[in-house]
Amino acid sequence: MSNVFIMDSDQELIELVNGGDVDAFETLYRRYRDWVYHLAWRFTGSPQDALDVLQETFTYLLSKFPGFSLTASMTTFLYPVVRHLSLTVRSKNRRFTSDEEMLSEITVPALKDTHSSRSELAAVLAVLPDEQREVLLMRFVDDMSLQEIAVALNIPLGTVKSRLHHALQRLRDDHRTKEYFLE
Amino acid sequence: MSEETKHFDEDLDLRVSQKFSEDLNILFKPQFSIQPEVDRAVLDKAHQQFTPKHWGHRILRHINIWRIAAAAAVIIFAFSLNLTQKPGPTTSPSLLGEARAVDIDRNGRVDILDAFKLARYVESAEGTEKKWDINGDGLVNSNDVDLVASAAVRLDKGVL
Repeated sequence: MSNVFIMDSDQELIELVNGGDVDAFETLYRRYRDWVYHLAWRFTGSPQDALDVLQETFTYLLSKFPGFSLTASMTTFLYPVVRHLSLTVRSKNRRFTSDEEMLSEITVPALKDTHSSRSELAAVLAVLPDEQREVLLMRFVDDMSLQEIAVALNIPLGTVKSRLHHALQRLRDDHRTKEYFLE
Repeated sequence: MSEETKHFDEDLDLRVSQKFSEDLNILFKPQFSIQPEVDRAVLDKAHQQFTPKHWGHRILRHINIWRIAAAAAVIIFAFSLNLTQKPGPTTSPSLLGEARAVDIDRNGRVDILDAFKLARYVESAEGTEKKWDINGDGLVNSNDVDLVASAAVRLDKGVL
């Protein structure tokens, strides 16, 4: 793969891919591969399923060329795709679990961490309402801006802010996680 | 990022400590490595798609989609015009002069009513004007009425 595209913006890469440049696609793939994989892992809770979702996500992206036009950021485009594909993979494996149960389950990390504050953080996150937890993780794990979250979830910006505010407030109020917020 | 978003993102209420971010990332970003086979599978698909043969087909398909969309738009536009406009002239040019001559009531249509009207003129002896001498034989009579009736039948929908 050529390194000449490393500095190119997503938009520039997409234009090149629309013109048939496979190296530009590879750059795009390597740029978002880990991001997609981590998100898919969070949704599926399984490394193997996450790999399947990763492949399917980029196969879907490939199918959009030529003629693909990016109207927002790449993560905004990819987030709903990964989410949808993850839920599809999960429902193939667990037919009797509802989407809500899946979402609730998948965003809770395994408590293998021996660090007590991290374990407690995980425990508090586990009881957050799904929509609040999702926004919190999109902001601080997926590194998406509030505007990008709003577009990806198709909800108003004010709703994103409100959900995030409530999520952080619960963490501040909980004795197990309030140390994160002490000045 | 828009100014509005920047404002929200800079909201002190929504800021967190670095430790909080780090711990979240440790919890939610597993250190699994993605096997080279997975990369190869995705990139092989890409290379396959970008071979000149496949890429050419995809471009053609993409162009055709736009062509079909454009053609559909033209048809829909034409159809909508057709629905909003009255029927246009369908008479052939050769019949147009004759049709104008036999449009007795001058309403833009040649139909059997023109023949009836001329027949009444002839019967009432009002139709002696030269202009009703449709066949140009110097007389205004039933032959002219027949000619109007015949034109009404021959002209498509009787529209001038």
